[in-house]
Amino acid sequence: MKHDPDSEPDAEPGAPSAGGPGAPRGGGRAALARWVARRLLLAVVVVLGAATVTFGALRLTPGDPVKVMVGISAAQNPEIVEQARHETGFDRPLAVQYADFLGDLARGDLGWSYQLQESVPTVIGDNLWPTVSLTLAGFALAFLIAVPLAVATAGRRPAWRALSSLLELVTVSIPGFWVGLLLLTFFSFRLHLFPATGGTGLSGLVLPAVTLALGLVGLFTQILRDGMARALDEPFALSARARGTGETAVRLRHALRHALIAISTISGWTVGALLTGAVVVETVFGRPGLGRVLATAIQNRDFPVVTGITIVSGALFTLITLGVDLLYRVVDPRLREAPA
Amino acid sequence: MDDVSPSRPAADGGSHPARAPRRAPERAPAGPGPARPRTRGPAAVAALGLAGALAAACGGSGHAGGDAAGLTYASAGLVNCLDPQASASRLISIIDRNLFDSLVATGPDGKIQPWLATKWEVSPDGKTYTFHLRSGVTFHDGTPLDAAAVKATMDHAVDPKTKSVYASSLLGPYTGTKVVDASTVRIDLAKPYTPLLQSLSTPYLGIQSPKALRASCTKPVGSGPFSFVSWTQNTSIVLKRNPSYAWQSPTAKHTGPAKLAQLTFRLVPEDGARYGALTSGQADLIDDVPTANVKALKSASGLRFLQKDIPGTVENITFNPSRPPLNDVKVRQALQRSVNVDQLVKSVFNGVYARAWSVLSPASPGYTASLQNSIPYDPAAAAKLLDEAGWTGRDAAGYRTKNGKRLSVRWPVGAQLIRPSENILAQGVQAEAKKAGIEIQYVSEDSGAFVRDVISGNLDLYINNWRALNPDILRNMYASDRVPAVGGSNMFHIKDAQLDGWLNGAAATEDAAARQKAYADVQTRIVQQGLSLPLFVPSELLGVSDKVQNLNFDASLYLQFYDVSLGKA
Repeated sequence: MKHDPDSEPDAEPGAPSAGGPGAPRGGGRAALARWVARRLLLAVVVVLGAATVTFGALRLTPGDPVKVMVGISAAQNPEIVEQARHETGFDRPLAVQYADFLGDLARGDLGWSYQLQESVPTVIGDNLWPTVSLTLAGFALAFLIAVPLAVATAGRRPAWRALSSLLELVTVSIPGFWVGLLLLTFFSFRLHLFPATGGTGLSGLVLPAVTLALGLVGLFTQILRDGMARALDEPFALSARARGTGETAVRLRHALRHALIAISTISGWTVGALLTGAVVVETVFGRPGLGRVLATAIQNRDFPVVTGITIVSGALFTLITLGVDLLYRVVDPRLREAPA
Repeated sequence: MDDVSPSRPAADGGSHPARAPRRAPERAPAGPGPARPRTRGPAAVAALGLAGALAAACGGSGHAGGDAAGLTYASAGLVNCLDPQASASRLISIIDRNLFDSLVATGPDGKIQPWLATKWEVSPDGKTYTFHLRSGVTFHDGTPLDAAAVKATMDHAVDPKTKSVYASSLLGPYTGTKVVDASTVRIDLAKPYTPLLQSLSTPYLGIQSPKALRASCTKPVGSGPFSFVSWTQNTSIVLKRNPSYAWQSPTAKHTGPAKLAQLTFRLVPEDGARYGALTSGQADLIDDVPTANVKALKSASGLRFLQKDIPGTVENITFNPSRPPLNDVKVRQALQRSVNVDQLVKSVFNGVYARAWSVLSPASPGYTASLQNSIPYDPAAAAKLLDEAGWTGRDAAGYRTKNGKRLSVRWPVGAQLIRPSENILAQGVQAEAKKAGIEIQYVSEDSGAFVRDVISGNLDLYINNWRALNPDILRNMYASDRVPAVGGSNMFHIKDAQLDGWLNGAAATEDAAARQKAYADVQTRIVQQGLSLPLFVPSELLGVSDKVQNLNFDASLYLQFYDVSLGKA
């Protein structure tokens, strides 16, 4: 699940071109279309691969999935177990199950959740937005905190930088459930500013998003600061200063843009981290969401839900990666000229 | 109790369909017992009972009918399927009690009273029960509640497709239901089974609308005082008052529609968040109060703490007598005496739970107090018993050996099913056993491996408890014919002629004194034969806002919301 090597930016791309967003030169448009088409095809392969690996891995989990599914007491009643085995198709040979799985997938049928008694697309549909809004809010918040911190401390103010580094270490290290409980205790139970659980509106999103964001702030800040410090040592920074550009402008217009490339590089990883973090946050705050549904589905061997969520998140992941790679071509002209 | 105007369809499906993992293994009761699944340990048990009394909604408000916001109950429980015949967990039963009515009700004195059935006859041979249904009762979808609906519900309970966790076992030797006429229905049994009426009074056999049976996991339709509104998975379940309700249980304190306009169940598994929700007024009622917070809650203003012991079997470690080394009664008795249960229970649960001496809860009818102190912590006696059993050697690790073989028992637990406090308790038991020279291999397993071990009997110890009003639960766990393959919970295939005689005799007799005697004998034998080590009496631990009024429990200690109203704190 890494980016194609051919789209990985070099360690230090040159200065971003002044060109506006995505303005391929003549002839580049067709090349770009070919490149996107190829990448989309590859994305399908990646998603299929992820689905297959999940399909296989689930069947390697210890124990009889059907017995786990029906629960301990019912699992001891052979009649119930056989009924459930038949309903879920586990009574058929593995090859047939896999063929059925692929066939259903080709028809866009993600299956039926045994545990939830609901079609998988409905399950995902009902839980997708709460998770997406949570992760988007968490990502945006982390970004908004990290940028000023990095801009303020990169390459200067050693005391502030040390303090910021310490805080970054702390936020990366403390577990999300603890942060969540601290936030709840203070802002919800004491100050009554936000609902503790079940808030579905904006006010219910604040504390979960802050919890999720705190885990990322440290990482983002460090990456941004490193990138900025390096960019500020580059000749282009020197020449900008020589032109009389103010320090803040140099940082924002030149160094920061540079450092942002690294953030987009790890955005794929970030999506995964946010989804994982969402499980904890969703549990602490009693929120609906894909993370918790996935965790419960694995525990209960609700295979269609697990593969369904894998496919959807795999598709999201590859699309984001594709978007990031497109962004590189905007940001870094050298990649644009690389043969597609 | 009189005529009833047709109720309007209540379940407007405004919101998300319910959806939660069905039968999450963690919460599935290990046996037919109604008790709460092991998952949450003692606390779990505790959680359900309380639900009845809900706290007032945060807004405080008027009574009867005036509570627009309704009551919010934050529970540690999980909800996977609202079909009462399919599931068995404390929280689901509490929710279902508001949605479904039963043929009969069990009064506080244990007497059976008429409810949806105005009267009934039992045939002289005890094998046929004929019920005469009350007229004018309608389901939330407008369907009349008639004999056909009762039959559909009973057939649904025993249908393998329902995969009933508990309800089918409640029907005992059930053979079928016949519709005599629209308002008369007959239940046939293969042999006399006196617990039947009591079974029928539980929410597990609440009558469902036949039209809604197929989807009742997620969109339940009954005739109860509240109707289903929405279920947001892992988050909340909302019910609203059924305005046409007029056929309340005879145990209720008022008549007509419920007093609360709305009932919201919030699913808050995190202890700190749940307790905080109560103290900050975001919930009117919580269950499973963390034992560490009990002291603070007792002195909090505007809040009260309620603790009620739950009937059924206590939290106990059942021993597997079907394979070595616990097939030797002396080893089992030694293990019972080598654990300082008093001390462990007190320190792990902050003194909140009472130590248990019998497998049956003191809150159960049939409980015998004669076992008090019958298996005290006595390392010397344990050592003597082990010597007599031939476990006289010692290996390098200090464990006893016999013929070079270490005295070792296996205790797997489902990692996702066990609560942290139970985990500590189990490790305490393990440490105590080690002092006596008995090795306990306490293994935390993935749910798949755990279910496999339980089914194949690859375990020597099993911790569990079952909520059940009727002591007949003991038959389901200890009678030789109640093996798991037929839906029983005698998972270790215990075969004891004396136990069988008493248990089956008690289930078939109407003589209360004889039953009491039989159950006392059963409890004594279970403890004396070392089939179980009782640990503590599970109880409901509820935190309740003072706004909540008329919070009551039914006979099985499930919270009742029908009479609840919200006043000023």
